[in-house]
Amino acid sequence: MTTFNLPDLGEGLAEAEIVRWHVKVGDTVKVDQPMVAVETAKAVVEVPSPYSGVITKLNGNPGDVVATGAPLVEFELQGAGTPAKAAKAAKAPERESPAAAKKADPRAADDSGTVVGSMPTSDDELVETAVAGSDIASPRERVRAAPAVRALAKRLGVDLASVRGTGRGGLITVDDVMTTSGPTSTHTAATVTALKAPAAPRSVPAGTPPSGEAEKLRGLRRAMHQSMSLARDNVMNCTLFDDADLHAWRKGEDFTTRLLRAIGAAATAVPALNAWYDGDNQSRRLMQRVDVAMAVDTPEGLLVPVVRDVAKRSAAELRADVDRLKRGARDRTVAPEDLRDFTFMLSNFGMIAGRYATPVVVPPAVAILGAGKLSHDVVAVMGGIEAHLRMPLSLTFDHRCVTGGEAARFLAALIQDLERAS
Amino acid sequence: MIEAINRAHAWEMAHDPTVVVLGEDVGVNGGVFRATAGLQKKFGKDRVQDTPLAEGMIAGMSLGMASQGLRPVAEIQFMGFIYPAMDQIANHMARMRHRTRGRITVPVVVRMPHGGGIHAPEHHSESLEAMLAHHPGIRVVCPSSPARAYGLLLASIRDPDPVIFLEPVRLYRLVRQEVADDGQALPLDVCFRLREGSDVTIVTWGAMTFEVLRAAEQLQKDGVSCEVIDLATLSPIDHDTILESVAKTGRLVIVHEAPRNCGVGAEIAATVAEQGLYDLQAPIKRVTGYDTIMPLFRLEYDYIPSVARIVDAVRDTLAE
Repeated sequence: MTTFNLPDLGEGLAEAEIVRWHVKVGDTVKVDQPMVAVETAKAVVEVPSPYSGVITKLNGNPGDVVATGAPLVEFELQGAGTPAKAAKAAKAPERESPAAAKKADPRAADDSGTVVGSMPTSDDELVETAVAGSDIASPRERVRAAPAVRALAKRLGVDLASVRGTGRGGLITVDDVMTTSGPTSTHTAATVTALKAPAAPRSVPAGTPPSGEAEKLRGLRRAMHQSMSLARDNVMNCTLFDDADLHAWRKGEDFTTRLLRAIGAAATAVPALNAWYDGDNQSRRLMQRVDVAMAVDTPEGLLVPVVRDVAKRSAAELRADVDRLKRGARDRTVAPEDLRDFTFMLSNFGMIAGRYATPVVVPPAVAILGAGKLSHDVVAVMGGIEAHLRMPLSLTFDHRCVTGGEAARFLAALIQDLERAS
Repeated sequence: MIEAINRAHAWEMAHDPTVVVLGEDVGVNGGVFRATAGLQKKFGKDRVQDTPLAEGMIAGMSLGMASQGLRPVAEIQFMGFIYPAMDQIANHMARMRHRTRGRITVPVVVRMPHGGGIHAPEHHSESLEAMLAHHPGIRVVCPSSPARAYGLLLASIRDPDPVIFLEPVRLYRLVRQEVADDGQALPLDVCFRLREGSDVTIVTWGAMTFEVLRAAEQLQKDGVSCEVIDLATLSPIDHDTILESVAKTGRLVIVHEAPRNCGVGAEIAATVAEQGLYDLQAPIKRVTGYDTIMPLFRLEYDYIPSVARIVDAVRDTLAE
């Protein structure tokens, strides 16, 4: 009997939910035949069979959440000698082993070097510099503190290197950290505690109790919970509002591709907003290509497929990509690689309603643009008043690494490109 | 590595007439892994003796020879076969110096393969170093490269007290290295630093150095600098080197193939917790085999810690 474990579906996700089985116990399946559809936090993925054989057991029913690496299907293989192919098809996580490094060894022909098992061999020459004993370079500026003190310092945002230890042998104590943290510490600590404490139940006036059943967040909605929590805990969101006057546009201009193009132009003018920011290491990476994640609203939740290289590609190319991704997002077939590695985000909420918003930046990106509902506004122009079509814009940036000036210049460049006739 | 072990035997036998070799199939056959190939032909049947399949007798006979002035180097064919010899090793070999108030020491080396990775049957892939390291009075040594196999085996034969010499079986023919056959021993009871680093200390020994060094290389590409320490002597442990390294990096990951429960890794973790606690910036992590019987070949490499598991553990400590 051979067990097939749920493989990592290429997204580094820890689990997936079974949507439906295409096979049942007793079925004979061939390599690559689709067995089951599973829903990850990002997409519905078909899992093909890595083996040819008879299915003896299915682990889990539709709706069950299966951890990556957990047993999914058990097989009775047809004949022996299929595992080699199986290993390839199953996309088992790579592992390096000496056996894998085994190479033809001329001596192995007449003497395998063992009477049991098989000896892994290699022609690789080992080059090493082994230093015996405690010849360790002297420690850098050494901070000595108990783990609980380190945890406290981390929570209060105190850099231990800047704390003078008053304990035995310069050991940093709880009091040292509190003193360094200063008067705001109580407030910070209280905030931290408050964040961790369960929300207090709201008081409900006497009368009919509210109805509705608690439902566990799943799939996209749970992924949204995670990314928004991460953003809330880390990002310093700051939003700038303005309008683009589209009076010069001809009939039939494509809003989405114009927005993508304008983002490309603005990112070229002010690269600081097309970046990844690693707050833990205070390290900022300006990205060369502008890859825009577009929020797509689906009944299950929010999906953000990525349109690549918007600064360099034509309107027609962008439109084709947008159509493909939207379709993929709606029927949940969008590939995992189309959901990753964006450098900027766009939310087109104005297609539904809303003029301005405070969109939330999702790390590691540092900015997001919200496009609001178009309307004909009364505009004062030289010599009178006119009605112009205008697009409300909301640009949120991560103020930890982007300055207000950069954001404003970015928005100005964006509006300038957007206001062009074509 | 197997050749380095063979050469260390040959060098010492040629330079010290009291060195004798004994074990199952070590003579005519040259040992199941060929560690003693050609020695009987060169040094004769008196100095290279084939024994019956009786590990208790091999250990007992070595003890007797050593107490009477010889320097026996015994081979236990596979580590899983050591149990019958444990009575002689633990009850007598380890205690002789103590029992005779220092009048008799027993310079025995008991060599054996250590660990799995060669698709062998049951009892052939064990990592039982913790059981041996738990006994006072015996030294436990485990080299991780041909150079250290050569230098540490010479040092073990020359040491006046009993040494259990664990040879990482899957490295026997996997690792090649130029080793000068010059009779130079390496120091016992000290660690070897295989890679200098500043972000995390990884302590390991034996065959696991293979995966650990690959993990360290992979992490280096992401800018993580790992200090890799080969424990080399598992008992007594060179705690000073480990503590100094942890004082520098603030983080410790211990990797061993043996099961986790009461493993040598636990001893290292405990000592760092006792003496290096204030230097730690993250909890100590262990990446080990599982607390089950070592599986047969199909699952062998699911049991042995993989590069990916080691990388994950390092990332976990860095995320703290």
